[in-house]
Amino acid sequence: MREFALALMYSGMLTVPPTVATFDHLLDWYLFFGVGAAVVVIGMLVTFVILYRDKGDNKPLPEHKTEGWKIVLITVMISISILAAAEYQTFASFSNIETPSQCSMVPDPCINISVLGFQWGWQFTYPNGKVQLTTEDQPLTVPVDKIILLNITSRDVFHSFGIVSLAVKEDAIPGRYNTLWFNDTNLGLVTMAIRCYELCGAGHATMVGNLSVVPYSTWQSEFGVNTTG
Amino acid sequence: MLYFFTSLYFGIIGAILALLMRVQLSVPNNFFLSAYYYDQAVTMHGLIMIFWFLSPIAIGLANYFVPLQIGAKDLAFPRLNAMSYWLYLSGGIMAVLSFFVPGGSADAGWTNYQPLAVLTPGSGTTLVYLGLVLLAASITLGSINFVVSIIWLRAPGMSLDKLPMFTWFILFTIIAMLFAFPTLIAAFALASSDRILGTVFFTSTQIQPSILWDNLFWFFGHPEVYIVLLPGFGIIANIVPQFTGRPLAAKNAILVATALVVLPLSFGVWMHHMFLTGIPVDLQGAFSIATIAISIPFDVITLSFVESMIRGRVKLLTPMLFVLGAVVLFIIGGITGVFLSSPVLDRVFRGSYFVVAHFHYVMVGAAIFSIFAGIYYWIPRFTGRMYNERLGKIHFVISFIGFNVLYFPMNFLFDMPRRIFTYPNIGNWALLNGIASVGAFIFAGAQTLLAANLLYTWFRGPPSPPNPWGSPDLEWKSQPVLTPSPTAPTDTSESPPAGGWIGQLATPASPATETHAAGAEHGEAHYSSRPIQLSFGAMIFLMGAAFYPGILAIGLMVIGGALFAVALGGWARDDLRHKFAPPPEEEGDRWPFQGVSKMKLGMWVFLSSEIVLFGSFLAAYIFIRGAAVTFPAPGSIHDIPLGTLNTIILATSGLTMFLAIQAIRQGDRRRLMQWMSVTFMLGSTFMGIKISEWVNLGSSGFTLSAPYPFNLAASAYYIIVGLHGAHVTAGLIMMVYLMKKTKDGEYTKESHEAIENFGLYWAFIDIVWCFIFPLFYLL
Ligand code: HEM
Ligand SMILES: [Cu+2]
Ligand SMILES: [Cu+2]
Repeated sequence: MREFALALMYSGMLTVPPTVATFDHLLDWYLFFGVGAAVVVIGMLVTFVILYRDKGDNKPLPEHKTEGWKIVLITVMISISILAAAEYQTFASFSNIETPSQCSMVPDPCINISVLGFQWGWQFTYPNGKVQLTTEDQPLTVPVDKIILLNITSRDVFHSFGIVSLAVKEDAIPGRYNTLWFNDTNLGLVTMAIRCYELCGAGHATMVGNLSVVPYSTWQSEFGVNTTG
Repeated sequence: MLYFFTSLYFGIIGAILALLMRVQLSVPNNFFLSAYYYDQAVTMHGLIMIFWFLSPIAIGLANYFVPLQIGAKDLAFPRLNAMSYWLYLSGGIMAVLSFFVPGGSADAGWTNYQPLAVLTPGSGTTLVYLGLVLLAASITLGSINFVVSIIWLRAPGMSLDKLPMFTWFILFTIIAMLFAFPTLIAAFALASSDRILGTVFFTSTQIQPSILWDNLFWFFGHPEVYIVLLPGFGIIANIVPQFTGRPLAAKNAILVATALVVLPLSFGVWMHHMFLTGIPVDLQGAFSIATIAISIPFDVITLSFVESMIRGRVKLLTPMLFVLGAVVLFIIGGITGVFLSSPVLDRVFRGSYFVVAHFHYVMVGAAIFSIFAGIYYWIPRFTGRMYNERLGKIHFVISFIGFNVLYFPMNFLFDMPRRIFTYPNIGNWALLNGIASVGAFIFAGAQTLLAANLLYTWFRGPPSPPNPWGSPDLEWKSQPVLTPSPTAPTDTSESPPAGGWIGQLATPASPATETHAAGAEHGEAHYSSRPIQLSFGAMIFLMGAAFYPGILAIGLMVIGGALFAVALGGWARDDLRHKFAPPPEEEGDRWPFQGVSKMKLGMWVFLSSEIVLFGSFLAAYIFIRGAAVTFPAPGSIHDIPLGTLNTIILATSGLTMFLAIQAIRQGDRRRLMQWMSVTFMLGSTFMGIKISEWVNLGSSGFTLSAPYPFNLAASAYYIIVGLHGAHVTAGLIMMVYLMKKTKDGEYTKESHEAIENFGLYWAFIDIVWCFIFPLFYLL
């Protein structure tokens, strides 16, 4: 299943970005428990229905105890253990939704980029002050193998900024700043990697953007803070 | 039953919108519907299906079968029931009309995320919002009626442990409605006032109005999804034993799990819809745990259904097939819900078709399939005829297949945003959407079989035996009616065999032979036209409000207001003339509320939903105060000494009202009159001071168009304090009415219910003020 999801999201890729690795690992757990539970319970239902179907005989049915608290207790115990195990894995994956601790170090090794949602597009402000709007040939440009910290807000209405191929998404809300991080380990251009995931008016469907991952030096010369002068 | 058919009608409208969307999405880069129309379709599909189809169809069934199941003749308050229906219809008319006004209908999604929704131009959105407020009012009235009926109208011998499962689950649903819908009213009232009056609750960016909306909407929204689901579970639990030949497994566990875990916890998980809004990570974790906790009772319920087959004799007739389908689809939908409860996984799934798949599996799969089961199960009781079994089975098979073809592919569309009107041809989107669209037509086509079967049964079906499923429940012990009357669940001519079915349930010592029937005049209540007039009056008034400003708007508001006032006056006159004398109260099983009268119980139930209403408004206010960095200092706007004086006046009026009640408890009508007059004077003085305060505030520039933060403070003050003022005014009007009745020599020591109930209401208003005063004047 992971291979499937990956193939779907990132065909031809060599390395797995950390957020995606965490996500896929977690998804595996949920699929394991979820598909397992579905198969077992639906299987039980189908088996019982076949086993105890009306065979047309009139044999008297056995007496039934009206209340089976024991079986309820067992159900609860099993549910709790499975759900607790899944939830534990979720908590173990919280690194995906927490700002990495490195980013609060001085000097800050993370790349901070501001994202402003508007009807209908995204505007990026890079560390050197350069401002770009998403267009076909103006992707969100980030350096490879660096922690990127996006600071997301909106100018008008509720949007949601998502790069599903990196397993990240955060709402863009007027008057509020939300952060999201990722670290893309693969060079190249991903078309339509960025999408808006909250209905924001007539242009919602076209609120897309490309993502370009370039070597650090290239990025630094165009968008980074110019250290030499 | 009118309820039932009206909801089917709305269901068809919702389905047409859905098919339009599926046509648009069937191939990439399609332009069958533009974004303008698609957004309206997606919004109104959701709203109509949830509010005007799914809940009402269950309520429709409940309207008919709950009284039968508990051995009552009708619901506790027939006119309230009629009122509830007409308000529901009025709200629906407004929602449908909204398509035809310039600018079209609401188009910000059924969740109406702000500030997009209040910024949408045109009156269509406002019409929908006010329609929703009417719908919510309808639901509140209906809920009061059901709670009182189920608690108070049970036939002798119908103790709680004998209550059929459907009735139990309707009770659970209704309780959830009672506490969830006031928040919906608050949310949409605030948004409507932004749209009509220009308040700034959701347009003032300084207070992060999106978050305010999310909290209000989802505090309502999550309980709402259970409101949709629980009647279906009630049907399953109720009918499974008849098809397995054995009792339901763990029946009491199901009841305990639903009452003690699902209901309370459903109000504590709403932030799982807000994982991405930037709430702290710890909070996300907490709500994630709460969400999986609430899935445990559902595990118990589902497993009980599964175990109910063991060592039974499972008859795969149509109702049972739909039950099994519903359980299977609920398992799938519930498990995808657990995926969504993980904030980390939600980073991918949120806002995508995965969520769409999830909630259709639970709402359509579990809820509608079980309602279909209920329809097939009960149609013999309703028409006296049997449906066509083979057609029913075909209907099930095609529905089940069509459903899965429609929604299963969406589980794999987790990278496709929902609510986009078109999409490029990338990945497998085209393929999966194409399959889903084919499934949509299979599923919709299958429903024509349901329609055909219903019509066939109604007109041609072979007579059904009186109790075709061998059910122990009371509804089968009475005879079917072929001519249902609009708001009366059962025909008045129908009476149980003397000493018959009620006697069977009652202990041998009390073979209560009396029917649990109403007096002759009682039936007349159904034909009162006042509820229609009131509802349509309210509807016309609100339509006017939606079009405000303009001459047409004012005209409509005047006409609607006049109709409303006339109807209200007429209702009061009818009452004064004793046109609808209440039936004598009879014996019944009322545990644990034996000592409480029907009206009083109704009043308590009403007030508890009022608490949530004011609570929602005040919570919104507290949110605003917390979010606003600057806010006018206490004393700078409102006159604290004057406010204190007014508080004392209102508190005193509470005391005098208490003395009035004491007076009539001793049978002293003269002193009742005196104290009530004093209460009235005090209440009027309170309102007088209020009005003078408002006039002063208005002329000193404390208006909605003032600069921030004064516009915000003014919005909150005028709307919330205004709401309280409206309650006081309504109280004053009621007092006039009560005083008139007192003068007519109406109340006695033994019979003065209305006074007692009014006392409760008045005390409630006083208490609310005790919260409003410090919040608005002192802090
Ligand atoms: C095991 C039980 C369930 C769990 C754990 C669960 C969990 C969730 C979660 C976490 C979401 C938010 C997803 C997101 O927006 O990213 C969600 C959405 C939703 N759920 Fe459930 N759910 C469950 C059962 C149900 C049931 C029984 C219903 C209705 C009958 C339902 C209806 C919905 C709806 C309508 C939404 C989408 C709201 C929207 O954004 O439009 N869910 N569910
Ligand atoms: Cu957007
Ligand atoms: Cu929810």
